[in-house]
Amino acid sequence: MPRVRPSIVVPLVLFGGGGLAVLGVAVFFLANAWFGVPVGAQGPVQPIAFPHTVHAGAPAEDGTGGLGLSCTFCHRNVEQGAAATVPAVEQCMFCHAAVGGTTETAQAEIQKLRDTAKVGEPILWKRVYRLPDHVQFVHDVHVRLLSQQQGVTPSETCSTCHGQVETMIKVTQVRSLKMGDCVDCHRQYTAPTDCAICHY
Amino acid sequence: MVTPRRDRKWQFVVDMDRCSGCQACVVACQAENNIPINSEAQFNQHRAVEWIRIERYWEGEFPNVKARFLPVLCQQCGNAPCEPVCPVYATYHNNEGLNVQVYNRCVGTRYCQNNCPYHIRFFNFWEPVWPESLRNQLNPDVTVRSRGIMEKCTFCVQRIRRAELDAARTGKPVGERGSEQEVGLQPACVQACPTGTLVFGDLNDPEHFPTLAKLVKHERRFRLLESLGTEPNVVYLKKVDLEAKEEVHGA
Ligand code: HEC
Ligand code: HEC
Ligand code: HEC
Ligand code: HEC
Ligand code: HEC
Repeated sequence: MPRVRPSIVVPLVLFGGGGLAVLGVAVFFLANAWFGVPVGAQGPVQPIAFPHTVHAGAPAEDGTGGLGLSCTFCHRNVEQGAAATVPAVEQCMFCHAAVGGTTETAQAEIQKLRDTAKVGEPILWKRVYRLPDHVQFVHDVHVRLLSQQQGVTPSETCSTCHGQVETMIKVTQVRSLKMGDCVDCHRQYTAPTDCAICHY
Repeated sequence: MVTPRRDRKWQFVVDMDRCSGCQACVVACQAENNIPINSEAQFNQHRAVEWIRIERYWEGEFPNVKARFLPVLCQQCGNAPCEPVCPVYATYHNNEGLNVQVYNRCVGTRYCQNNCPYHIRFFNFWEPVWPESLRNQLNPDVTVRSRGIMEKCTFCVQRIRRAELDAARTGKPVGERGSEQEVGLQPACVQACPTGTLVFGDLNDPEHFPTLAKLVKHERRFRLLESLGTEPNVVYLKKVDLEAKEEVHGA
């Protein structure tokens, strides 16, 4: 066996180890990006800090709970078409023309809302859930089928894909909704898995 | 239970006796399917993208010339030459009789284009651009294809999907004309055609697509390059020419 000089072994071990560590970190990030919930899982910063807890959270006895609005009250198109849609400013103003908020932060946020309404411009909400452009998703079939199957109201089906939004102060993505995720569920329900259902 | 789905077989009929070569279908298709605007240079390079095109032929000698028009779109072949040559299975035949192109699967080898006898597949040699004023007219139901991707007529699959989903929601059947009782379904070119040259429908559902069911069996029927055995899903009806003399072709 040829003798290996320690002057080669030391840097080899050092740099080899360092290389492995770098590789390990890279593999971790790649695997995370590929299999995990997309990067930015904290959710984007919204122009107005709109809390789902206050509006959609279940009302509590002592008045600390939310208003208990149903999801379909605001996301009106969810049973009619592809996009769930986010409500127009006018719809927020049904209430917020009168409701100014009790705490200071609430007042500040609601003031932003009122200012936007005065200008007559839409609020530029940032998307939380976003599939790539080459995928076509439709809400209505899913919501209808899940509510029939589970015997619940349409609003209670949202948690299948979006998690407990009513307990989120800020909406964050909880389910990966990558192709494998979609197709797994489609197989489970014997829904179509033809590529042309989702890609066109 | 998931919504029951009908067994579809989508077909086209092109009645050449009615075509006036007005190009309305070409424009409608361009707008519906987010096809970039073709420049003169692109035509000269044979790189223009036209999912449906009107081929024009002159017949006879001056002064007795006649113009002949032949609308050509993807034939959605039952035995498609483009499919087996794709190395990544980006194009395949689905159970509705459509020849599907999965854009995101496509790697741009262009084998399918070379193997298509109808020259109806198009390659994006450039990133598509639209004038700023046209940005907002892009159809959100259709993927904008990027550079390096093959594309072709889809029979307006986005409209098929929307009609089927509307039908599932309302409980009405899909039919050739929208009415109180049925959800209308027409590809963009059919909708735009002023002379009724183009007819679209489901061969398995003659009740709701009666025009197609009637014309598909017409005695003037033929299919493009039928001898190749591609089994196209587009049926052409011959031009009625009262002055034509009996002539044996290919003799
Ligand atoms: C089968 C899974 C699924 C269910 C069930 C579901 N969603 Fe979604 N939702 C998605 C996906 C996927 C997207 C991203 C769509 C895209 O990017 O095209 C999305 C996007 C959204 C959006 C933002 C974009 C838009 O469409 O306006 C809202 C709001 C939304 N969902 C609300 C709801 C509500 C409310 C419910 C319950 C009534 C619900 N969703 C049920 C999967 C689901
Ligand atoms: C059904 C009536 C109603 C509707 C509709 C409504 N809100 Fe509210 N909103 C309330 C109430 C009640 C509060 C609690 C105010 C408080 O006591 O502080 C509130 C609180 C808020 C707050 C402050 C929350 C905090 O504590 O920081 C914001 C921001 C807000 N709403 C934004 C909106 C937006 C944006 C819309 C439209 C999408 C909207 N609201 C629609 C009733 C409504
Ligand atoms: C008061 C109106 C209101 C109600 C009620 C409401 N939402 Fe929302 N929702 C909004 C607004 C406004 C946004 C956009 C701001 C944001 O993303 O936080 C939004 C965003 C979302 C998003 C993220 C959309 C995206 O950008 O991808 C989801 C998911 C969602 N809502 C689900 C629900 C569910 C589930 C319920 C019922 C538990 C519900 N919402 C009830 C107003 C409402
Ligand atoms: C919770 C399970 C579930 C998940 C997750 C899911 N789907 Fe579905 N999807 C279904 C079921 C079940 C149907 C069939 C509904 C019916 O036919 O009544 C369906 C139907 C569809 C349809 C309509 C099919 C048609 O006939 O046109 C599309 C499009 C679709 N899903 C896309 C997606 C995409 C894209 C995703 C991933 C982001 C996804 N689905 C995730 C269960 C799911
Ligand atoms: C139920 C819906 C659905 C069906 C059916 C489906 N896909 Fe997808 N596909 C998706 C979604 C959602 C994504 C986006 C994943 C992401 O967020 O990156 C995707 C992404 C892709 C990508 C991009 C690579 C990637 O992983 O991001 C390719 C390629 C692809 N699909 C090919 C196909 C082919 C080929 C078929 C038919 C055999 C098919 N898909 C059927 C939903 C579907």
